[in-house]
Amino acid sequence: MSDSKPEIAFVKPALPRAGALVLPLTEGTALVGLAAELDAATSGAITRGIEASGFTGRKGQSTTLFAPGGGIGRVLLLGLGKPDAQTPESVEAAGGTLWPGIASASDVLVAADTMPPAMAAHLAFGVALRGWRFDKYRTTEKPEDKPKADKVSIATSAVPAAKAAWVPLKAVAEGIFVTRELVSEPPNILTPVEMAERCKPLAKLGLEIEILGPKEMKKLGFGALLGVAQGSAVEPRMVVLRWNGARKKGGQPVCFVGKGVTFDTGGISIKPAAGMEDMKWDMAGAGCVVGLMAALAGRKARVDAVGLVGLVENMPSGNAQRPGDVVTSASGQTIEVINTDAEGRLVLADVLWYAQKQFAPKYIVDLATLTGAIIIALGHEHAGLFSNDDALSQKLLAAGTVTGEALWRMPLGEAYDKQIKSDIADMKNVGGRPGGSITAAQFIQRFIEDDIPWAHLDIAGTAWSTKDTALVPKGATAYGVRLLDRMVADHDEDA
Amino acid sequence: MSLGLPRLRLRFDPPKPGRTTVLPLAAAPPATPAAEAAGFAGQSGQAVRLSLPGFPDLVLAGAGAGQPLDWERAGGEAMALLLAEAMTPAAEPSPINLLRARPAVSRPLRRIALDLRALPAAAAMAVATGAALRAWQPPVHRREAPPKPPRLILHVAEEEAMAPAFIRMLAILRGVALARDLVTEPANLLTPKHFAARLRRLRRFGVGVEVFGRSALQAAGAGAILAVGRAAANPPRLVVLRWGDTTADPVVFIGKGMTFDTGGISIKPALHMEEMRADMAGAAAAAGAILTLALRNSPAAAVAVLALAENMPGADAWRPGDIIRTLSGRSVETIDTDAEGRMILADALAWAVREFTPAALVDLATLTGSIVTALGHHRAGLFGNDPPLLAMIAAAGELVGDSVWPMPIAAEHEEALKSDIADLRQCSSGSLQPDACHAAAFLRHFAEGIPWAHLDIAGVETREEASWQGPAGATGFGVRLLDALTAARFEAPDQTT
Repeated sequence: MSDSKPEIAFVKPALPRAGALVLPLTEGTALVGLAAELDAATSGAITRGIEASGFTGRKGQSTTLFAPGGGIGRVLLLGLGKPDAQTPESVEAAGGTLWPGIASASDVLVAADTMPPAMAAHLAFGVALRGWRFDKYRTTEKPEDKPKADKVSIATSAVPAAKAAWVPLKAVAEGIFVTRELVSEPPNILTPVEMAERCKPLAKLGLEIEILGPKEMKKLGFGALLGVAQGSAVEPRMVVLRWNGARKKGGQPVCFVGKGVTFDTGGISIKPAAGMEDMKWDMAGAGCVVGLMAALAGRKARVDAVGLVGLVENMPSGNAQRPGDVVTSASGQTIEVINTDAEGRLVLADVLWYAQKQFAPKYIVDLATLTGAIIIALGHEHAGLFSNDDALSQKLLAAGTVTGEALWRMPLGEAYDKQIKSDIADMKNVGGRPGGSITAAQFIQRFIEDDIPWAHLDIAGTAWSTKDTALVPKGATAYGVRLLDRMVADHDEDA
Repeated sequence: MSLGLPRLRLRFDPPKPGRTTVLPLAAAPPATPAAEAAGFAGQSGQAVRLSLPGFPDLVLAGAGAGQPLDWERAGGEAMALLLAEAMTPAAEPSPINLLRARPAVSRPLRRIALDLRALPAAAAMAVATGAALRAWQPPVHRREAPPKPPRLILHVAEEEAMAPAFIRMLAILRGVALARDLVTEPANLLTPKHFAARLRRLRRFGVGVEVFGRSALQAAGAGAILAVGRAAANPPRLVVLRWGDTTADPVVFIGKGMTFDTGGISIKPALHMEEMRADMAGAAAAAGAILTLALRNSPAAAVAVLALAENMPGADAWRPGDIIRTLSGRSVETIDTDAEGRMILADALAWAVREFTPAALVDLATLTGSIVTALGHHRAGLFGNDPPLLAMIAAAGELVGDSVWPMPIAAEHEEALKSDIADLRQCSSGSLQPDACHAAAFLRHFAEGIPWAHLDIAGVETREEASWQGPAGATGFGVRLLDALTAARFEAPDQTT
């Protein structure tokens, strides 16, 4: 196991005699169910604790009462907010918020007996997402520093209904963990070859996996991608993951494409040393696509979907691509490489072209940690959305709002496209500092056929988090998996 | 007050035979064999100069689909072509030399006829606007004065709407020209004091002008403007321009007017620092808009509050780490003295909130490099707290060609302004900061909940190369947007906010 995460179980409500009990409470509501039982069993200790701590049930509030009686080690009071403002997403956030308060406890029971069983499943989803931990390379950590809550039981009045609601959520969580693990892995371990290997076991979910190496890509004319890869000792790969879940056969698949630069030194246009270690997550777009495909297959989504990832390592070497090189992409368009550190768009150019030619998709969404400029534009809360299609953009923006994986639309236009004109080739791969993320998107758009709805998500600011958030421990966020899973669920699945 | 604009005249007769004539045409198959030979089909952006019998010097300019900006572009492209070789042909061309003839040139081009007789008033004035703004000349400081721009004679149809449209256009042209003129002036000739003196001249157009100097700013407690301007030998000014009914709740334009920005103690690199003479483009645009409203006798009540200062390093300069008490009463922890624009705007906003009951606040500022990285040179960043106001501004911008793009103020941006020691941090330090968003989050505090929009116009206040919209240099961005916004939202008798 390379990661640790709490096992989730659904159980009938019964007051435990030991361990930790979580009481999720809405604002201004009397204690009922297990909470009321415990209050009675402890002669009002819970009521007194609520009064003494000033706990009101406000959203995000949490208070721990230790040894309230009845053998229970601790009670965590968890604020859910107003009773009429409970949504699956708000309950998920509450589930994430409770994790730090119970991580050090064993035998954890969450009293979700007062909420509908489906909500109990969403609460579990939040616990699972926040409780995940990348542990593979910790060998000397003291046992007392490790989380002990390896199993979290959710008490619900309707166990089968909660379990049924949990099945698809668990599949999405597993997909997110696939992404987080890939993104967290260090670059000496997760090379393009290794990342392709890690896709293979996903076949057991029902995904068709196809892996292309340099020979096949050369035959397909992937001059842009291969140019990036040529400086590395590790071969590039392209992985195609197909999920055929639609009941109606023969429809157009939805298509997702990810940038997978397993490490980006910048190549000959080498990056400054400070912070370069972050470039292990320059494959987060590809990581998201792989996790998303695992999620769709895992929950047996009724959709035909295809995910493609271009996997390369960008290294300086005696055989590396140079600034000034001209490469010919699979589309036939030529590219003057001005800056070898603008390599993501070169990888995407060939993979996107192949995706359109091979699969004639209904729409295509690409994800890439593409530009520093998007961080200077928007920061870390919103990813940049660039699209040739208003309807697709609206769907993405809506899914982003619901899942909390927010997007902000950015402009495209002819005036920006002019910035990537080359004197010697069809285009150059950088357009200067002004509008840097926009010109990158313009570059990609040149490889998109006019009639294909396309969106490009620049996730450079959102793929990695330097602090814990409700659902995401510090590190790989798996940004995009929930967003795109949600969009597919809302718009693309058969009835 | 020519402000570098060509002189314009309205006429209802046909162009004089033989005069250099511009004929704008919407997209259509070529009208004449000559046009066909020149490949002219009226696409937007297309302009050709021909010699035909009876028309020795004719410019055909394409207006494509015939949208207002297409007509404007036709005028601009035609003018660009004529300015490239601003001479008139000597005589009728010989039949041999019919096409694209460049007959022996004789004299500089003094008059250009715009043949607009086939166009309705709006389209006709759009062509003239494009031509006039392209022909605009920046104020230059050479020993020999350059020739004046050629006169434009507008030959139009006899239509009732024509004369009012002409007056309105002149008002807009002069507002834009004022802004361009001010932006072009170098910082030694346009200090805060000179800027204020230039603005006093607006009184003759019925604009109320009040100028507040250092002692008035001290008395008011405008600590931010005073800190930013402290080290400069040219002290700061705050100028209030008023147009219209002084009892009504006005729309208030706020302008950043750094007449020069060295960055102060957080000094800028030397390369391209000269461009910082344009760091007062927000104030220039606000002043230009007020002039336009006055010249076209707008029924709106409008105010401009302009913060004018020079940011210099000096022995008594404001320092990173300094805590500044702003006019609003909020304390601000200085992180970077080159983030001075948001400081002077904070006081200007507070002034507007204190002195008026604004129906809306719209500030314009060449505020951040971040917005240039985000949106480049083709769109300004639009931030604010009032979605209907923002939608109106975006629409007004599209209408007149001052394009903007909505940008977010997110929770993380507000979070970045938390200070350990003051009410607000001025900005965030470190690389890869969304500074444009941080600046907007900062300014939002000073709008005090009043409908407010902030236009970060860094990157669009000047253009590097001449285009159909004007010569290289100052663009006057924002004047037309504010005018169109005022017309759309603040002139109706039942205006709501």
